[in-house]
Amino acid sequence: MAEGLIVRSLRDGSLPGEHAPALCLEDSLPSPLASHSHAVFRHLLASLLSTGTGTAVVLVAFHRSPSFYLSLLSPTFHNSIRLLDCYSDPLAWKSNHHPPPPSHSPQNITLLTNLNHLPHFLSSILHLAKDLGAQGHDRVTVAIDSVTHMLRHAPLPSVLQLLTNLRCHEKISSLFWLIHTDLHEPKVISSFEYISTMIASLQPIVQLPDYANANISASITSLEENYSKAKFNVRLKRRNGRVKLLCEELLIEQGSVKFSSVPSVSSVVAQNLIPKVQFNIQLSDKERMDRANVVLPFEHQGNGQNIEIYDGRRSLSESQKDPSSTKIGGLSEQKRSNNNKSEKGEIHYIRDSDDEQPDSDEDPDDDLDI
Amino acid sequence: MLEKGLRIAWQYKKYFGEQTAVDSHNRDKKQEFSSDFDLRKPLERQLLNSQNIECISTQDAFDLSKLQNHCLTFVSKLSMKDGINSNAGRIAIQSLCAPQCGYFEKDWDMLSFIRSLRATVQSSNAVAVITFPASVLSNSISKRWQHLADTLLSVRAIPDEDKDLAKLLTGYQDMLGFLHVHKVAQFNSQVPVILDASTYSLKLQKRKSLVLERLNQAPVEGSSGVSYATSGSCSSSKGSLLDF
Repeated sequence: MAEGLIVRSLRDGSLPGEHAPALCLEDSLPSPLASHSHAVFRHLLASLLSTGTGTAVVLVAFHRSPSFYLSLLSPTFHNSIRLLDCYSDPLAWKSNHHPPPPSHSPQNITLLTNLNHLPHFLSSILHLAKDLGAQGHDRVTVAIDSVTHMLRHAPLPSVLQLLTNLRCHEKISSLFWLIHTDLHEPKVISSFEYISTMIASLQPIVQLPDYANANISASITSLEENYSKAKFNVRLKRRNGRVKLLCEELLIEQGSVKFSSVPSVSSVVAQNLIPKVQFNIQLSDKERMDRANVVLPFEHQGNGQNIEIYDGRRSLSESQKDPSSTKIGGLSEQKRSNNNKSEKGEIHYIRDSDDEQPDSDEDPDDDLDI
Repeated sequence: MLEKGLRIAWQYKKYFGEQTAVDSHNRDKKQEFSSDFDLRKPLERQLLNSQNIECISTQDAFDLSKLQNHCLTFVSKLSMKDGINSNAGRIAIQSLCAPQCGYFEKDWDMLSFIRSLRATVQSSNAVAVITFPASVLSNSISKRWQHLADTLLSVRAIPDEDKDLAKLLTGYQDMLGFLHVHKVAQFNSQVPVILDASTYSLKLQKRKSLVLERLNQAPVEGSSGVSYATSGSCSSSKGSLLDF
């Protein structure tokens, strides 16, 4: 479901007056499967291209060579994709010494060498987008292999400004990029999350144990699960201002990516958002057990000691010596005590029903016919 | 129709509150502000180019000195008018620390700008409103920003299609998010401002007007929590029309 929502949002593009939807795909070291985040990236790329003839992609390749991507896609899609080659010669080392032969590169790959100059970078992407537009593709998506590589060459505000300019441009209908969260400060990651409309992150299924305190041996075997599955957390910013949170499982089988849904954990979010009420109506389990253990006054015959009723006027020690203090068994005992000192009085109390809840509104005198 | 001697249970206050707000306070007073606008209409560019409005962008700026100078000249122009200050100056800055801006990594420069803006505004007949995405700032800098504010509000999003929240809150379908009031300005006074409620829900009624409503929950001890269910409407019946 999450994957479907993402692909649909990227394919549909934006409404007039809106910025283009942007997906930020994050991965991190704790999940070994996150090294396959590239597989997720390629999966999204393939899904977008296969949705119809209208969608085309401009792929900015930093991490792998453009021919790698072309070999992954079937030849029918080669016309709908344009690659900006930032992998072969990002620092212009080769072109400075040996200018590249012009006829060597295939038609849909454009070499870019001066990555420091971002306006030129932007205009190259837009040029490719217009090229695709001219061929009849009305929706152009820009995919950036990784923004982490871009940040090596240009400062953060410039990169963000480039992405924002891409989002504002009329020719671009959607945008997605990959970022490695371990290689950047949290401020950088949150800035990318700020400008994106969808954030997808790969998390480990089993958290790494706390080596200082926890029982290590038991948890290490469960870590093996991390190698086959990962959690795919998606946060979508909706048009109505609300946020949709989804959590699914990711499986990688034979190089292809599969998503399966898992019941989401949204109840935690609800509890954190609403301010807490200051009185607690519910009973905890311990409180419930304690209440069950309390014996009501009329249901027992005492534990052999005097019942002392403190009336507030005398100190407790004085009342102990007072012969008029109530003895066990209540008033009825006093009449018989002269005759039968060894015999104790008893009160028999029969409850109406055992399921009657205390504080219930039932008035016991209701059945009186006065 | 509110009898003062009648002790109303908290659920019923919401039906009476609105009437007192409208009748007793606003009957004879001339409306000096209006919050009655239709949110469906987009903001037109011509409005921003009118005579009393100046619009500048900081996206391409590498530092805040230009913005600071602009604010200073704006405020000094205010005091140069006739002795009676009939117009208050309003400075509104949107997304001040947006990460796309060239000065984004200069944390201390941004802080000193806010401090100088605050000094400028306090010594003149002007107010300033700044919005900023707090998540992109580091914790310590974010705290410093919050301390510099006289009035601090925060807006929070709510999950979409959440069944638990829909059960807990009334009117969940219309809700856009929550508004928390953290601080309220108090000048020249030792008396603290105690709010009835500090959390409001932002609701869009009939897709047209924005309404702030206290969260409909049971009453809570003390002023920090959410209390009675009253709807404080943003829109007023009379007043000058501010049309976008």
